Amino acid sequence: MSPTAPSQPANAAIVAAGVVSPLGRGLEATAVALREGRDCVTEVTAFDVATARCHDAGQVPDEWLERLRDSRRTRKLHRASLMMIAAMRELRAQDAGFVPDAVIIGATGGGMTFGEACFRSLAKGGADRRRAAWLANYNPQKPVLDAQEDAGFRAPVSIIANACASGSNAIGHAFQLIRAGRCEAILCGGYDCVSELVFRGFDSLQASTPEKIRPFDAGRTGLVLGEGAGLFALENLEHARARHATILGIVSGYGISTDTHHITQPHPSGIGPRMAMEGALASAGAGAESVDYINAHGTATTFNDATEGLAIAQLFGNRVPVSSTKSMMGHALGGAGAIEAVFSLLAIRDGFLPPNINFTTCDPAWELDIVANHARPATLRRVLSNSFGFGGTNASILIDAAPPALS
Amino acid sequence: MEVFITGAGWITTQGDDLTQVWDKVLAGTPTPVSELPGLEGRAPHTAACIPPKMADAVARHPRLRRASNISLFAAAATVAALRAVGIDSAGPLKNCALVFAATDGGVIYTRKFYEQVVRQGSGSPLLFPETVYNAPASHIAALLGIDGSTYTVVGDAGAGLAALSLAAELLATTPIEHCIVASAQEADWILCEAYHQWRLTTDRSAIEIGSNRGALIADGGAAVVLSRQGPWRLGITPAIPFFRRSEARSSLADALAYLTPRTKPASVVSSANGTFIDRAEQNAVESAFGPLPTIYPKVSLGDPFGAGALMQVIGATEVLRRDNIGPILVPVIGLNEQAGAVIVSYR
Repeated sequence: MSPTAPSQPANAAIVAAGVVSPLGRGLEATAVALREGRDCVTEVTAFDVATARCHDAGQVPDEWLERLRDSRRTRKLHRASLMMIAAMRELRAQDAGFVPDAVIIGATGGGMTFGEACFRSLAKGGADRRRAAWLANYNPQKPVLDAQEDAGFRAPVSIIANACASGSNAIGHAFQLIRAGRCEAILCGGYDCVSELVFRGFDSLQASTPEKIRPFDAGRTGLVLGEGAGLFALENLEHARARHATILGIVSGYGISTDTHHITQPHPSGIGPRMAMEGALASAGAGAESVDYINAHGTATTFNDATEGLAIAQLFGNRVPVSSTKSMMGHALGGAGAIEAVFSLLAIRDGFLPPNINFTTCDPAWELDIVANHARPATLRRVLSNSFGFGGTNASILIDAAPPALS
Repeated sequence: MEVFITGAGWITTQGDDLTQVWDKVLAGTPTPVSELPGLEGRAPHTAACIPPKMADAVARHPRLRRASNISLFAAAATVAALRAVGIDSAGPLKNCALVFAATDGGVIYTRKFYEQVVRQGSGSPLLFPETVYNAPASHIAALLGIDGSTYTVVGDAGAGLAALSLAAELLATTPIEHCIVASAQEADWILCEAYHQWRLTTDRSAIEIGSNRGALIADGGAAVVLSRQGPWRLGITPAIPFFRRSEARSSLADALAYLTPRTKPASVVSSANGTFIDRAEQNAVESAFGPLPTIYPKVSLGDPFGAGALMQVIGATEVLRRDNIGPILVPVIGLNEQAGAVIVSYR
């Protein structure tokens, strides 16, 4: 890390990205699914959901991950580690010269399903030799270490666990460090996996839906969970140019706020989301008119969409197209912000607005330009991506198209 | 940019008064321990626990009435740290950020919630929000009226270092005046069992440094207030990951290389806890600086993991306050992730 900050803020360039989610394994497959508006929410098979209110989730197919169990080292890893390794390998394939001096990753659950397996084994009684391996792969830091080891990195790790905003916080904080000249290159992003405990948790709060997930719809009834991993290789622009790296985009702004109203419910005024979005714009030195698309948090819960919709309407009116890509893959919690940042980058790269599927009726509470059901072609210079979470934690990041001369 | 500690507070198995607790640490008074009953048919485990009534004062706040022990410990330590700086914890606290570090989170409510799921098919909606890692940070933010940057970082004991680094970065890159760094740990049978599976904990009534017989998991909370000016200067090395226990020594050595040759510590406040950490830390520190007088707080406080690193840092400020000697080295090796160090010196 550099000991002193430069006099001019540095630009934070995205030089590589990796993603695995229910929408696809890798950037290209993901872009196709996004553009198609593919519904990738399916019935949960990993555990019993018969007595739950919700039966579905966006799940990464096991066969996409099992092929990564290609060595003795990877054989016992949790699927969260495999998702991180998959995203990391894709990122490394784009830019083998990228070497991070820090790793900042958002996550909330780690290898939770291994913890569940261990609990069930203990409750059942008797000896079980698998417990030690389960527990060794249970912590949220383990998938990050596994991905680092796979890539041959050994950079200091920070795991940010700001609930559902974690992934955006990780990218946002990395942006701040590069901009201030404290780091040259940071691997950032997030991951999370569907687990029974979290699934039952949202079910207990009646936040999850037995129907289709319909963000911003007047008839929305709640969220479904999702999973996946998304990574950015973020680098000081000048540093990246000096080594002739490809510039995919620029992270240009970050806002964070804390809403202390309630641990699970946002303040109805929308003050939390609004402060985060205003903070992102202010840090970019930009106005609301500079934003071409908003990838909303849009969980489809009554409260989130009401407050986020209100805050967007207050700041942007109905001028900016809005969609929640969670409609296609569910809510990946700590990974959501990072995965959706990758989606935003793909939207910029390929010139389209990802759709908000399952949308039927506008909520009369606000007038928004929802990208309903079908992707739209668009030239995007700047995208705002929102992530809000339990505990009142809110994060917004801005992603810009790379200047044509650099891309 | 330089970062300073302006205030500190903690809640430990030996009490919550900085001076009295540190006296017990210096005297090598073993931590009191309790027996935690196991799941049906399973043997109990030994842990160092704090009586919940010690956090009664913060538990009266509406947000904390049903909160988990980890939230209560974190809030109690934070209020104590703010009191030491003369900041009114009645809030709202403007221009202040919060970074909370956790190793295992709200494990008691997590175990209870999942137990309900397994046995009854569903869990209580009152328990689930408290299982989320950032619940303590959310409660502290509500208690103090913090509406800006609030972060929770997780990891092994190195999470305490990651939290200090993040706080220093926030002070360097954002216009805040203070950053609270808090950390806490709550003990539970399931946690003891998990670390026991890794052969990292002991059910003996005391830990023995260098024995490799295992650590005693402890309740605890610790908090420091960081600012751009203050009595104790903080130097933080990067935390270097290790992928297996045998690499812990070299990770700490790599971290200490950021301090040498500029800094020669006068003494060490150790992270040794009765596991493989002890030898790795001793070897790395002696290789870098030669033999140094060393204090072992975990003999008296047990090991509250992420909070343990902050307790070591607070201990270093106590050493400086009493003896006015040179810089104090706080090496930190976690159990499964990373190693690093902090150097605390007079301004």
